Amino acid sequence: MINPTYLAVRTRSSANWGDAKTRVLHSYRDWIRAAPEVQNMYSLSLPVPTIRTKIRQEFERHRYVAQLKTVDVLLFNSHQEFQETLNYWKQLTHVLKYFRTEEEPKARLPANFINGFLEGRN
Amino acid sequence: MSALPRSIGSRLLPLVARPTVRRAFAPQIRLYADQNASKISAQNAPAEKPADSAIVSREGAGESTPSHQPDYDVSIDYRVSNFSPIPKRVMDGSEPGDSVAAAVLSGAPVDLQARTVRIYRPTKTATQSGDWHSHHWVMDWDPLPKGHRWENPLMGWQSSADFMQGYSVTFKSKEAAVAFANKQGYEYFVQEPNERKFVPKAYANNFVHSPKKLKIIRTK
Repeated sequence: MINPTYLAVRTRSSANWGDAKTRVLHSYRDWIRAAPEVQNMYSLSLPVPTIRTKIRQEFERHRYVAQLKTVDVLLFNSHQEFQETLNYWKQLTHVLKYFRTEEEPKARLPANFINGFLEGRN
Repeated sequence: MSALPRSIGSRLLPLVARPTVRRAFAPQIRLYADQNASKISAQNAPAEKPADSAIVSREGAGESTPSHQPDYDVSIDYRVSNFSPIPKRVMDGSEPGDSVAAAVLSGAPVDLQARTVRIYRPTKTATQSGDWHSHHWVMDWDPLPKGHRWENPLMGWQSSADFMQGYSVTFKSKEAAVAFANKQGYEYFVQEPNERKFVPKAYANNFVHSPKKLKIIRTK
């Protein structure tokens, strides 16, 4: 008898857009519910609402994907990140990759061409 | 969708109300640099080659350079640096067509979608007559204007912030290279190769009779 790892899930494809939508919403809810756990586990100095905003941001980034297969891969990636984060397989660096703008306000694109030119950017 | 300006307002519109849904004819590929840019005019064009040169160039004077406006509202990833170029458009999976949205899925830096890529066929070496290198197509990254090279302060070695410098990808055909660039969301332009023009000559044509007066007398 092989006991699967905590949060292991069998790979599956979405049958249709309705199925994909359900899976996305379940994934989103799992992440939102896990936010305080993530903050506690990695001793983040960010408040839980910030983590939840970041989760929302990451989901919104892919809001307009038009192909079902792309959505499937994104769901797989989301669950992979979820499992890695909650099993404490990640390290602080890996989690903080998502919070670059919060940690370092200077890491951003310039507002317009003139600002970029004055900063000496590409 | 790709012709509309990307603003924060359009992202918050519900999916049903997005103008994309109502488009009757969706292009098969992302609309890119191979459309003739209307901003390039005849005054800016470089000088044309003379008509009877030994090479035949299939590219017009001003057609090879792309021109789109940079998009400063793009959501950045953790790899952004002081040398990151500003992307013109970032692939988000909503493009019409059947090709894989590899830019979204691959996890590659968003900077790569900002940089222009040149698809060309390497020329035959002028010093030799063999053309074994000029059958495949190569994809090459344009160097960054800033940060592509500076001198290391300690040893004087050449340092670079450009991770694509000295990197090229080969393809068997132009279509394969263009499909790859579309899939990965790269800005690209195709540089058509200059074909060698060979005029078949026959020595007997020097002695062919001409009813008119000869312009050039080729015999003694």
